[in-house]
Amino acid sequence: MRELAKKRLQGNFQQSAKYLALVFNDFFVLALIFIFGAVMFWYAQVMKVLPVKAWYYPLVLSALLWLAYLPGKLVTLLQTADRQFLLATDDRLDDYLAPMRRYSLVLPALLLALAGGIMYPFASLKMGLSNLNYFSLVLALFFAKVFEQGAVSRSLTFDHRVKQVTWLIRLVLLALLLASLYFLPNALYLLLALAVIAVLALQAWKNSAFDWQYAIDYEARRKETVYAGFALFTDVKERQVNIKRRKYLDFLLPPFGKESPNSFLYRRTLLRDPEYLNLLARMTAFAVLLTAMIQDPVWSLLLSGLVMYLTVWQLLPLGQKYDQNIMYRVYPIAQKERGQEVSRVLAWALLLQTGLIIIFWLAIVPGQFAWSLLLLVWCGLLAKGYLPYKTQQLAKKSRYKKRKK
Amino acid sequence: MTLEISHLTGGYSGIPVIKDVNLTIASGEAIGLIGLNGAGKSTTIKHLLGLLRPQAGKITLNGINLAEKPAEFKKLVAYIPETPVIYPELTLKEHLELTILAYQLDPDKAWEKARKLLTMFRLADKFDWLPVHFSKGMQQKVMIVAAFLTDAQLLVIDEPFTGLDPLAVANFIGLIKEAQESGKEILMTTHVLADAQKAIKTYAILNQGTIEFTGSLDEIRGHYGLEASDSFDKLYQLLYQEQKNA
Repeated sequence: MRELAKKRLQGNFQQSAKYLALVFNDFFVLALIFIFGAVMFWYAQVMKVLPVKAWYYPLVLSALLWLAYLPGKLVTLLQTADRQFLLATDDRLDDYLAPMRRYSLVLPALLLALAGGIMYPFASLKMGLSNLNYFSLVLALFFAKVFEQGAVSRSLTFDHRVKQVTWLIRLVLLALLLASLYFLPNALYLLLALAVIAVLALQAWKNSAFDWQYAIDYEARRKETVYAGFALFTDVKERQVNIKRRKYLDFLLPPFGKESPNSFLYRRTLLRDPEYLNLLARMTAFAVLLTAMIQDPVWSLLLSGLVMYLTVWQLLPLGQKYDQNIMYRVYPIAQKERGQEVSRVLAWALLLQTGLIIIFWLAIVPGQFAWSLLLLVWCGLLAKGYLPYKTQQLAKKSRYKKRKK
Repeated sequence: MTLEISHLTGGYSGIPVIKDVNLTIASGEAIGLIGLNGAGKSTTIKHLLGLLRPQAGKITLNGINLAEKPAEFKKLVAYIPETPVIYPELTLKEHLELTILAYQLDPDKAWEKARKLLTMFRLADKFDWLPVHFSKGMQQKVMIVAAFLTDAQLLVIDEPFTGLDPLAVANFIGLIKEAQESGKEILMTTHVLADAQKAIKTYAILNQGTIEFTGSLDEIRGHYGLEASDSFDKLYQLLYQEQKNA
């Protein structure tokens, strides 16, 4: 079991490294450096003017360190097939979970070190905490995480109490943090001692009956969160898409018989597949937010126009969604007009987005009617010029790929 | 109204899995394609559906050559896959709507037929559900309903019985019989001969990519030297021996 765990951890590490390399691309790293630099500059300026030992400092420090403590769920890397192949290994599960628990602590340790480092000047200069006390505090948070993940790994039983156990630990920790910082600022090693005792006490907490399905689902949800993060930057092929019916959006569908099989399929996919609908909603919300923040018609027009272009550009893969679906290829669905049909569906989505942006635009910054017309013109250019050209190109490429097979 | 597969050789990436397959299915005829795993049954079906390009030979249906007129050919074919292939974004109703649109069926007649099929397979109350969340057996019923809704001339059915409950199997066999009576052609692969023989009288034995023999189950027994009392499983053992000795 230990070997299996090691092998899976290695695979997971390689997969994460692959996606992290894509996430932390040159532009994103540059942006991060700028943002981090700006925040640190602001922090340095604020530190110069902040008074010493204000009553709310323990509250601020507790909240920030507690927030840094939260991320980092237990990684188990259990797979659906384990329900079948590892079912008889309950008694050796701890051999498998021990390296998993250690691996799960890497991210929290890094985050706590980062948050602890950033907050150190505040804690020592403004709150007057000694180095020993502050170090004990950060270390106590780390041991609390060790305890939390140990408790979670022992709660993957038929009681299904992982969520309750996790939040109970987190809330108790927040209360202890506040109490220690307010009442025992010179004896924070007591908090550390308490956390270490809790970790040692874990040894007495034995798993009763491991619930494989529950544990597998728990891991699947964790992975989905990670993949969703990666998916903001790149395509994640491992991601499982959870389709929802979304009946409330049916009013956007034309009556039966008024569309071709391709349009029928693409329109429903756009409205029900979260990959496409979330993208459309996210980008529309982003454009509205930009407008609200900028309050300048020219910049709003330019940035909203850019968001619209990026939206349709990211929605283009919709046209290839069913290329590998055997029933789509067997059904007598005309392929010749497919490019135009995808283009029409995307143009419809674009018009929907433009309409929503304009409504919010007029509501937030009244008197922008002329600018709204310009946005509509841009929508028309994208719908009638860019989209037909791109979708036709992609449809040809897809047919060529099929012929090569 | 005939399906003709002549001298078909094909497979994946230039490696022939089926070699010189010849098969004719006349109007109103149903043929069961049987053989061991890996014999080439699914490969034959994929060629028949136009999913693979033949290395040699041709497939025609009512004189329409698949290689020359794939769109016309596909309008005459309905397919029930071994593993249900569902559009995750479509409801049961929308799967049938898509079938009506794709096969250009008369909506009124098609819905009348659909209602009968849905009632037969106890799916009528799931009309607005997403079949992606159905059990495997229920998804298979969706595939059956969609295929029989099409009114296609040729029904290609790949191992249909897995996951179906006995009631659904009986209804499905009834539909195959009806299709035969109305002059359709049926090609079905299966290992479940006990169920298949209720509807299908003629079988083609596919072994190592070649059709070795075509005939009734009795004729197959005679051809392979099986006693009347022998279980049909013995045929598979003989085919395996042939494979080993090849």
